[in-house]
Amino acid sequence: MTSKRSIIIFWALFLVPTLIMAIIAFKLLSHEQDRISQSALHALSERAKTISETIHLTVEAVQENLTQSLLVIDQDDLKKNLIKWEETNPLVRNVFVYKKDQNLEYPIRGLESTPEERLFIARYDSLFSGRIKFDFNEDPLRDESKIKGAEDSYSGSSRYDSAPTKQIESSRQKLVALSRVAQKAPALEQQAIFLEAKDQEFLEKSGWIPWFSENSLYILGWVQKFKDGPVYGVELEIMTLLSRLVVDFPELSEKGTALVLVDGNGNFMHQSGTWVTDPEDKPVAVIFISSLLPHWQIAVFVDDKGFGASRGFLYVSVILLGIFIAAIISGGLLLTRLTLKNMKDARQKTSFVSSVSHELKTPLTSIRMYAELLLLKRIKDENKTQTYLSVIVNESGRLTRLINNVLDFGKLEQGKKTYQMTGFEMDRFLLQMICAHSIRIENQGLEIITQVEEGEYHVRTDKDAIEQVVLNLLDNALKYAGQGKFIKFVLKKEDTFILLKICDDGPGIPSAQQKMIFEKFHRVDNSLTSKQPGSGLGLSIARQILRDLKGDLFFEPVPGNGSCFTARIKHHDSD
Amino acid sequence: MTHLRRYQHQTIVSFFTALIIFVTMPGAVLAGIEHSRLICRVETERAVLQAGDSQNVVLKITLDAPLSPAHIKRPLVNLALVLDQSGSMNGTKIQQAKAAAIEALTRLGLQDIFSVVVYDTNVHTIVPAQNARNIQGIINIIQQISAGGNTALFGGVSQGASEIRKNLENDYVHRIILLSDGLANVGPRMPGDLGRLGAALIKENISVTTVGVGTDYNEDLMAQLAQKSDGNTYFVESGFDLPRIFSAELGDVLNVVAKKVKVIITLPDNVQPVSIIGREGRIRQNQIELSMNQLYGGQEKYALIEVNIPESTPGSKIMVARADVTYENPFSQKLETSSGTSYARFSNDPKKVADSTNINVVREYQLNLNALAQEKAIELSDKGKKKEAVQELKLSAERLKQIGSKYNDKELLKQADELEVQAEMIDDQGMSKKSRKLLRTESYQKKNQQLSQ
Repeated sequence: MTSKRSIIIFWALFLVPTLIMAIIAFKLLSHEQDRISQSALHALSERAKTISETIHLTVEAVQENLTQSLLVIDQDDLKKNLIKWEETNPLVRNVFVYKKDQNLEYPIRGLESTPEERLFIARYDSLFSGRIKFDFNEDPLRDESKIKGAEDSYSGSSRYDSAPTKQIESSRQKLVALSRVAQKAPALEQQAIFLEAKDQEFLEKSGWIPWFSENSLYILGWVQKFKDGPVYGVELEIMTLLSRLVVDFPELSEKGTALVLVDGNGNFMHQSGTWVTDPEDKPVAVIFISSLLPHWQIAVFVDDKGFGASRGFLYVSVILLGIFIAAIISGGLLLTRLTLKNMKDARQKTSFVSSVSHELKTPLTSIRMYAELLLLKRIKDENKTQTYLSVIVNESGRLTRLINNVLDFGKLEQGKKTYQMTGFEMDRFLLQMICAHSIRIENQGLEIITQVEEGEYHVRTDKDAIEQVVLNLLDNALKYAGQGKFIKFVLKKEDTFILLKICDDGPGIPSAQQKMIFEKFHRVDNSLTSKQPGSGLGLSIARQILRDLKGDLFFEPVPGNGSCFTARIKHHDSD
Repeated sequence: MTHLRRYQHQTIVSFFTALIIFVTMPGAVLAGIEHSRLICRVETERAVLQAGDSQNVVLKITLDAPLSPAHIKRPLVNLALVLDQSGSMNGTKIQQAKAAAIEALTRLGLQDIFSVVVYDTNVHTIVPAQNARNIQGIINIIQQISAGGNTALFGGVSQGASEIRKNLENDYVHRIILLSDGLANVGPRMPGDLGRLGAALIKENISVTTVGVGTDYNEDLMAQLAQKSDGNTYFVESGFDLPRIFSAELGDVLNVVAKKVKVIITLPDNVQPVSIIGREGRIRQNQIELSMNQLYGGQEKYALIEVNIPESTPGSKIMVARADVTYENPFSQKLETSSGTSYARFSNDPKKVADSTNINVVREYQLNLNALAQEKAIELSDKGKKKEAVQELKLSAERLKQIGSKYNDKELLKQADELEVQAEMIDDQGMSKKSRKLLRTESYQKKNQQLSQ
């Protein structure tokens, strides 16, 4: 038979690889989760890049369009046209006309300028006073093809969105269109202007200056059409630019993420995505937008706990893994437990068979020995003959009880035992039992103590079954507490029950065994019991009988030495 | 700020004059549409000026908008409501804001355009620009608004403007009503930045009316946005006032009788412009240009201009200013004009000069000076100069009282009393959030001659 140890080793060998596999699976899942998070982050960063490119192209297109508009503006009434443009175009914050020798021609310094214009003049004082040249930041590698590219990107589709929306003009397209709305001269007129101006040297210089003043960004566009002509231009209304750009900012559906447009001072200009960012939060990725908007960036923020939606993969996987592991471990445990129980049962049955065989053999040996002696008629002494006969009778009785127990056990196990209910007085019954067995008890040198509380002890139950219970308990007491001084029978009433206690002052039952004494085939496995024969069925049968009769049997330890079994029998009146 | 803050005038010396107000009523009456025209009046603070040295004189250019004609269909309205649904709006405020939005919706006609934008950390258009027809459907959407998140005010206004722009080409009265109860913490948040947004929107004829609820919003930002876009501004302490305010605002918006109003004040060569008081405008040599987006039926809007009149001799007469107004008549979609001219006579008789005082001009001038004093007091208080702020208010109250007593003007005296109480309160408790909002809003409403308050 498989030993207990080998089962545990087998189980452990089975468990350890399972756990190792679980750890590996968990690590793989974590990596997979990280990979998913990384790819989501990458996708988010790509999105941010697309947005920043779109913003760059928009601003570039706006600037180029404004430059073109400035270059074709009617030079005859330059100031008036510029002022009209400023008054009507939301993209134009301020306009200016600067002549190298005459300084600033428009806005007029002093009372005639509005407060906004005064601030404008003060802001660009170094330019308007001639300290810095307008082309100080000119990029020599400026590529004209860029303009076309920028224009093309706005000709139809929207780069923010994957699906182009041709019917609805996006806010950015409107914005770019707005930058074209100037007094644009038709080609012929433009040619005429050039012809008229042929006496002036044609220059057509232009540029855009990102300008920082009082910690804010301003953008100034300028053109100089003729070599000796004025430098004129516009200051871009950044709030209009921003207002139109943010409207087309794509919405983010992923939870726990945010794309934020951040200005040069770190202020959040616009946010897409529901993740509520804290000023102290650090972005996981930053994409600088363009040299046209210096230091402006798109910041990617992600919840510290990871992407809300994609994190679900790990959670679900870990739950599934957990269920799988739990199923394996609990299944293994259950199988091991069943195997161990079967082993125990097999052992107990083997022990039972040998115990019962021994139990049957002992009285049979006595009976046979005395019967043979009597048969040979060698015993002449009448007293001895009487003694031998009584031994034969007693041992036969013991044999009968044993066989009854085994038979009852079978019936009880299968639920086939039938009970004959009769009414009788429990106190009288007990006293008769004590009287019948007093010789056995006294022969063991035990004193009989009987305590019957006053009262009426009428019961309606199976008399034979109760007798079997009392006998089993009495046999146990005689068997295990034979070295004691007394055996005590107590009868009393409690609620609807009659309590019959059979107590002794024997060695008692070790506390570890107390819970198992009612299990079938169980025998208290110590030196004391090994000397005693028994089937391990007595208490199990007694309890089962009492429970079938709506009562119970339980063990009460006695302080010091000894043990006490209490049978609870239903009182007849309680029915 | 355009206005120069001059609180003390040169002493007006000698002579008498007569102020003649010419109200020109151009006769181009549109066929089939007959209703009153906008009237332009130019008045000086005194009908007769003291002769002698050059002197500064306050001019009041008044635009009297006619009542909305009952028999002509009113101009259509393109209204965008931009509602704050940040966490701080939770409770009564969001409930009342919803009620106010529904109130506004039900007052619109079937042809009007209505849209609703809500903002918290993000911005959402919950009702895209559409005719105010499917009222129940829109109400159901409005009812679902719930509060939570940050305050992306700039994004909200931008989105509202985007909804307005869908019908920008049509002849609508374009208006955004912005509601907020907290500090903008996503997007530009400096009052100047929002002012620039307002200045850009007015170029598209979009006005933004700002409604601040409670005491935690930024009144400077809200006032600047309204001022630069020629909208109204309101301060309501509790959410319960919201439906009333929305209703009043809509009363104005549905009652527009003049759009894209431009006033050009032309001064004779010898009369010099000094400053524009309480309004933004442009001085170009001898011309002063002012513009207003909309005028409401029965509203009196005015501009106060300080000019310098040259040396004069008793009995002489000069033209002080001529005002030309052009505006779009929203009923006929035609440009109309109106003008007024002011002449002045000079006298040496101080009694005649004193008797000729035009209390209407003096009162409005003083009230505008008071509005400027209120702004100065806010500025001082912001710099931690509480005492100076209180002093500024008390001085203004004193001046109002003095002039009010002199001309026995109840409005000036009442304003003086209210200001004194306010100054005392600030002296005792410091500049509370509420006091600051009251001062800022009152000052703006006075300078802008806001009809609904």
